[in-house]
Amino acid sequence: MTATARLTDIIERSVSLEQGEIDRRIFSDPDIFELEMDLIFGRSWLFLCHESQIPKRGDFVEAPMGRDNVLVVRQRDGSIKALLNTCSHRGNAVCRAEQGNVRNFMCTYHGWTYDLDGALIGVPGRAQFYGDDLDVTKHPLKSVAQLDTYEGFVFATFDASAPPLYDFLGTTGRLGLDLLALQGDMEAVPGVQKFVIDANWKFAVDNLFDFYHPQITHMSAMMAWLGGVTVGKKNKDENGARTSDGKDLAIDWKPQDLSNLVVLGEYGHAIAGPPVELKPDFPGLDRSFVYSQPYKERLGRVGARVAGNANIFPTAWISPTTTQISLRIPRSATQTEIWWLSFADRNMSAEERKVLVRLQNQSFGPAGMLEQEDGENWAQSTMQTHGHASRTVPQLLKMGTGRGKINTDDGLRWIEASTNEHGQLWTYASWKQWMLGWDWNELYDHTTPGDYI
Amino acid sequence: MTIEIEQGIDDGVLHARMILQYRIEGFLADEAALLDTHDYDNWVALFTEDAHYFMPIRRTMLRRELSEEFTKPGEIAYFDETRESLRLRAIKFNTGAAWAEDPPSRTRHMITNVRVLADDGFELSVESYFHLYRTRLKSEVDSWVGRRVDRLRRAGDSFQIADRVIYLDQTVLLSRNLSNLF
Repeated sequence: MTATARLTDIIERSVSLEQGEIDRRIFSDPDIFELEMDLIFGRSWLFLCHESQIPKRGDFVEAPMGRDNVLVVRQRDGSIKALLNTCSHRGNAVCRAEQGNVRNFMCTYHGWTYDLDGALIGVPGRAQFYGDDLDVTKHPLKSVAQLDTYEGFVFATFDASAPPLYDFLGTTGRLGLDLLALQGDMEAVPGVQKFVIDANWKFAVDNLFDFYHPQITHMSAMMAWLGGVTVGKKNKDENGARTSDGKDLAIDWKPQDLSNLVVLGEYGHAIAGPPVELKPDFPGLDRSFVYSQPYKERLGRVGARVAGNANIFPTAWISPTTTQISLRIPRSATQTEIWWLSFADRNMSAEERKVLVRLQNQSFGPAGMLEQEDGENWAQSTMQTHGHASRTVPQLLKMGTGRGKINTDDGLRWIEASTNEHGQLWTYASWKQWMLGWDWNELYDHTTPGDYI
Repeated sequence: MTIEIEQGIDDGVLHARMILQYRIEGFLADEAALLDTHDYDNWVALFTEDAHYFMPIRRTMLRRELSEEFTKPGEIAYFDETRESLRLRAIKFNTGAAWAEDPPSRTRHMITNVRVLADDGFELSVESYFHLYRTRLKSEVDSWVGRRVDRLRRAGDSFQIADRVIYLDQTVLLSRNLSNLF
């Protein structure tokens, strides 16, 4: 079998919607990863930043697009451009700071200098050494193919033939971003948490839909925050979890576990989690906007009940509860960089903002009460896919398989069910379609949900 | 430039400073031992009721913009804790269900370069360097190096920590979590 045929064979059989099974090889095979860089990260619209991170002319942040690094730069006319951070001459990075304010970008190798829009405006010795036959107009910093914003969130794609951002997001992706954007006049809170996990990026993505894991993975945080004894208390499940020394781990399933709202969208976007009316209030944070008339009218009957979590395929997790966005950035098949960007309403009282920022600082991120445990799970899941025998064991997403009846309202395809794995399974099913290399129209058709999942 | 060494210090003053330095270093070493033996309840008890424990985000910035290298209180951080939230972290570790620390990390807190920056008689500003070395499970190794600035409040012959800012030397953290304290 040729290398390409081997890959196609793995991909075609990698995800079974019917069985709810995933081939573990897709989590560590370096050839699969290379193909992901080409067919997913080389084509998809990708989240870059929020406009408020670069308010002034010359402000820039560096942002990841797959393994590429782009400089997202506020232009002199107020528009935004995204430029590959690599000199046209010999490839050196033209900027090595992760954010700042500049007049231009100068490569520190030979001094080639670029304007904020990427135009090559300075070449030392251009007349003396090049004899004036270097056409500087041919060697700007390479720009992304398309850049656009939605509600202040900046996205770009390397594919000139990609549909407009608005259409790419579709009803599901736009709803996901609205859940954060409509909470007020949003701005980025300074500081992005960044850390590296030795895990495949897809494990970090599928976890955001997973409302089955918090009760176990985050048991210690729940016990600390909410009190109560869990370890050693009689389990209500007949055959539930037990510790290594035989103690029951009592889990009280809550109303929000028994009723989840799932939204599945074209191109692989998805939202899953408890609905608005079952989300517990957080002391000190005013969430009444979700019951306001303008909010309900904007999002519609179903949309206004959705509370998250959303993933803009492939890797932008919107966490409406904490008003954060997390990027799961692929660095290699087995290494993922996690970024947490945090947002707040400009009109929030100082007191409420303090509560929100504390919540953002203490929940997720590497030291977060919750995310400490996640990294270990994903790293171990990734490590075991290397085993010759271990990798032949399928990854299971069987919860509710075939029982998720998909309703359609206001252009949203949604499911209401107890805790399930529909969001994850939809992400992998769509991943497979991206990896088969369809054109954009075919990809849209192949990632349009049917009547059941 | 030269490092100026104070001349003609009175022996009594020098002795008082040496004793203070000795007590501070002893306090910081004892504190580190509590962390390395996972004795989090007694560690939290070292903080004042109004304590703030803060590890800002560090960013790679150009030299001319280095004043913006660290985030400030009220902005995003890796740790942004009160004594109460530190207490919740201790509870979390002690639940028997904090899986990222079970099996526990093997840690060593090395504290060096202890300098008294200011002393108003009530509180001291103390800088120290740290190297937190961690191994986990079979093959995971992490190493965090940085600088701490503590505000130590006098409590009899010992101290309580009223404020700790931890300036890590990494920008992108090269580890899967920070399930340990600094």
